[in-house]
Amino acid sequence: MLRNLTAEFPEQSITVILGRSGCGKTTLLRILAGFEPHNGGEVLTPAKEKIGMVFQEPRLMPWLTVWKNITFGVPKDRLDPAAVDRLLKMTGLTGFEKAYPSQLSGGMQQRAALARALAYDPELILMDEPFAALDHFTREAMQNELIQIFSQQKKSIIFVTHSVDEALLIGQKILVLNPGGAAQEFFLSPYTYPRDLLSDEMIERKKEILGAIQSKKEHMQ
Amino acid sequence: MKRTLKALLPLAVLLALWQAAASANLWSEYVLPSPGRVLRAFTAMAQSGILFENIWVSFCRVLTGFSIAFALAFLLGLLAGLRPNSSVYYNHIVEFLRNVPPLSLIALLILWFGIGETSKIIIIVLASFFPMFLNIKKGLCSCDPKLVEVGRSLNFTQGQIFRRILLPNALPDILVGMRVGMGYSWRAIIGAEMIAAASGLGYMILDAQQMSRSDKVIVGIFVIGIVGYLCDRLFSLAIKKALHGGVDNSWS
Repeated sequence: MLRNLTAEFPEQSITVILGRSGCGKTTLLRILAGFEPHNGGEVLTPAKEKIGMVFQEPRLMPWLTVWKNITFGVPKDRLDPAAVDRLLKMTGLTGFEKAYPSQLSGGMQQRAALARALAYDPELILMDEPFAALDHFTREAMQNELIQIFSQQKKSIIFVTHSVDEALLIGQKILVLNPGGAAQEFFLSPYTYPRDLLSDEMIERKKEILGAIQSKKEHMQ
Repeated sequence: MKRTLKALLPLAVLLALWQAAASANLWSEYVLPSPGRVLRAFTAMAQSGILFENIWVSFCRVLTGFSIAFALAFLLGLLAGLRPNSSVYYNHIVEFLRNVPPLSLIALLILWFGIGETSKIIIIVLASFFPMFLNIKKGLCSCDPKLVEVGRSLNFTQGQIFRRILLPNALPDILVGMRVGMGYSWRAIIGAEMIAAASGLGYMILDAQQMSRSDKVIVGIFVIGIVGYLCDRLFSLAIKKALHGGVDNSWS
């Protein structure tokens, strides 16, 4: 599925993998996470890198409270309640520590899942369309939260999405993936957050990115 | 309060019908003893201690057999649930044994193990093993692989994945299996004791029948029903407690 793909994911940066459905975005992410075997090719990672993951669905343990779900990956002897409280506050879940996932809305569940990945304190966070199932406003809030987390903690983030707007809003680097695996890269690090998607520059960028996705499709036909 | 009244009403009606039929002398005292006579038999048996002795004997047998069955069911359920591919080896044997009522084996069991405790405990093990085994297996192998992947993304070991994801996820199924298994073993022990025993509730009923004391037979039936019902209620309370007092879907 992914052929002739060479890509670099810079540290302490948000790299967005963008592409239409079925182009191998998720597969690439799962290979990076070590969930999927790859026949041929190489994945080079810094030694002993701690990788966290946020999935498309919240995937909370239904039998655990929000608090226990968030601390699910944290060893007991390294648990810092103050840090968890900070995460709860950041994700707007303060007061819901004792609630079970089924008592939360979809957006809250997804935020709890994000908090779980952050509590694990990884150097690299892989995110697989984590906001795709959320409504517009929750999604916007989560994107802002992610930018905040990035600015404060300088994590490396690899973020998969099929939304060009989302990629433009949060990406430092955008990797456009097309069926067949060939990729094109765009660098957005000069643009500071929060970004205005309706500014001339951004519209120009969006056109370029859309072009990159389109032209490959035509190429396939 | 209103619910209790509603639940008690049919019981009162049944009791009244029973009393009416008994006092109308439709059948002889032997065929249908009156409620008063059954109550007198009950107090006599309770005072002499025979009743509780027999309840205790049956209860101990059930507890022993049930514990052995649970240990076996858990170990084999673990194998079956975590290695579904292995089912090819034992599936037919399990299905065959599941369809053989344990009581039909009693002749062989007495021949092999005598009429002592062993044969009765084996009956209980056979009766309660399958509901527990099948539920444990189902609980373990029906875990959503997406949840297991969460464990892997948090760098869990196989043991941690089992302890922290697979096992708690299977807990409701395991408890349901235990509840059904408990009911089955209670029923099986009475049958086994009616065929070959010198003590226990089943023996008590058989003994009363041979003495033509149908009032004592009815006492025995009531006691079996009530003890079984109490056991089941205890289990359902434990299940409810384990499942956080029934938070909706906190166990999907």
